[in-house]
Amino acid sequence: MSMGYQRRWETRRQAGGSAADEARDSYYGLPAIHKPHWKWSIVLYFFLGGISGASYVVATLARLFGGPELRPVARAGRYLSFLTVIPAPLLLIYDLGRPERFHHMLRILKLRSPMSLGAWGLLAFSLFSGLSALTQAAHDGLIGRRGPARLLRATPDRLVGLLGSGPAFFLSGYTGVLLAATAVPLWTKNFLLLGPLFLSSALSNAVTALYLLLAATRQAGSHALERLERLDRLALLAELALLLGLRANSGPVIGRPLDAGRLGQAFRGVLGAGVVAPLLLQALARRRHGAIAQALRLLAGLLVLTGGFLLRCVIVFAGHRSADDPHATFELARKR
Amino acid sequence: MSVRASQGDGRAGTTGARPGALGFLTDTTLCIGCKACEVACKQWNQLPMDDFGFTGYSYDNTGDLGATTWRHVAFIERVSDREGRRPTRLKAFQSNWLMLSDVCKHCVYAGCLEACPTGAIIRTEFDTVVIQQDICNGCGYCVPACPFGVPALSLTDGKAHKCTLCYDRLKDGLEPACAKACPTDSIQFGPVEQLMERAKRRVADLHAQGVTEAYIYGDREVGGTGGIEGLNAFFILTAPPEVYNLPAQPELPQRKVLPAFLSTAAAALGLGLAALLSLRR
Repeated sequence: MSMGYQRRWETRRQAGGSAADEARDSYYGLPAIHKPHWKWSIVLYFFLGGISGASYVVATLARLFGGPELRPVARAGRYLSFLTVIPAPLLLIYDLGRPERFHHMLRILKLRSPMSLGAWGLLAFSLFSGLSALTQAAHDGLIGRRGPARLLRATPDRLVGLLGSGPAFFLSGYTGVLLAATAVPLWTKNFLLLGPLFLSSALSNAVTALYLLLAATRQAGSHALERLERLDRLALLAELALLLGLRANSGPVIGRPLDAGRLGQAFRGVLGAGVVAPLLLQALARRRHGAIAQALRLLAGLLVLTGGFLLRCVIVFAGHRSADDPHATFELARKR
Repeated sequence: MSVRASQGDGRAGTTGARPGALGFLTDTTLCIGCKACEVACKQWNQLPMDDFGFTGYSYDNTGDLGATTWRHVAFIERVSDREGRRPTRLKAFQSNWLMLSDVCKHCVYAGCLEACPTGAIIRTEFDTVVIQQDICNGCGYCVPACPFGVPALSLTDGKAHKCTLCYDRLKDGLEPACAKACPTDSIQFGPVEQLMERAKRRVADLHAQGVTEAYIYGDREVGGTGGIEGLNAFFILTAPPEVYNLPAQPELPQRKVLPAFLSTAAAALGLGLAALLSLRR
């Protein structure tokens, strides 16, 4: 009968070695730390939360500095931000061991705990995102003309957007800090890089999603789309540099999960298909016209979004793998 | 190891424990591997049995600390050393059979406590670290935040569990169940400062008797490093920490929070500027 106990390690011999061999440099190769239980719901939260925050910032900047041409970008950004933030708390609550106690997150605020900050940050941001989306809906006439719609149209949407941009960028980036503040070797070794990596990936994902939405619905002019693509290029270049930095900074032992097996393939897939290929496809599309250029851009966009989700999968699950590797833990904590 | 114990930056044999802190000294040179501590812990704390299997890892079928295992005895049979010398050629100390009863270290600055977003994990009046079961919502963030791999989520109730240093027994003036049951006093309970003095005397004795490998794990030089500032439950070991599955120089994970947020903020500024320049009219 199961007593709520799960074997957390495997009794698996390394090729040719005996238990005594393994007991010299580690304790039979068993994990020295416990990995988190985080699975697909957390990965999806990282992905959607990133898009939500970054598209809010893009919408705000488009509204403030983009002129009338970028009005559609601001509108789509606000709606996209709100739609992607709705599932965020649900995914987090679903992940809890005791979901009915989710509100215990709001008992205290702890500055040293990124998860505590994240709970409050998500709450604050979802209020901003909701308000901006409602204001946009009021301007678009989606919620009638009178009563609350009138009140919403009177809210200073640019000021709200500016104030909400702080929590927005926080939501996109804090997840990297959340991973960094653990004993998991791969994450804590790259503590300066994970936040910026998640942030740049979130920005490229959000811009790509907006580009695809606006191009598909023919809402924005070609100038607006060009500007979005320019921003996408910058974000992808930053992501590329950070990914290469992550691999180099991890070193041979701690970075092993990024090389070996299916996770290694996935990491190379993120680099090649999720970042480099879209950059090349976009460059190619700029020299073509018509349907071919459109197809290239569509393909690039789909690759960016797939790569963005896969990136978070790789970082989370490669972290699990490195937590299971006692040599990675000992490398991180060896006597210097 | 003798080098490690006698090294002179003044941090060996010192603990950052707060005045009056209570803790464990686990002296592995006295452990006989009877697992009375594991059993006593399970009995007192009413922890269910583990899904035992045969591991082949000496006499250890438990594996590690978990939600239902708060004391875990590690066994290391040294069949040969790194140079391939057989035990018959090695020093005849404890038959080259190492045993260690592992437990929550009740860190002076604890990663799990800092990470806990609900305030479920508290520091008690005995300076121990306890998870309040009526508060914990099973977010699981304390699990990877512990540099020693101590807390774990239970599959039965979804909450995080670990050693409480028998908080209920301490309240009634009793010593923890494992220390009470230990037949060789390998596990000793008391004020951390007294235990540390005793540990230093014991290590000196062991050195005098020829066991020059003996050292304290959990002072501010080994184990209680990187912002942890000492372990209220510490150990006397005779082999490198890694042999017992302990990290030599662990860090408090939360030391990374501020620099990581600063680098993320810098990236936010940079990317925000890039967005501004790309999007403006």
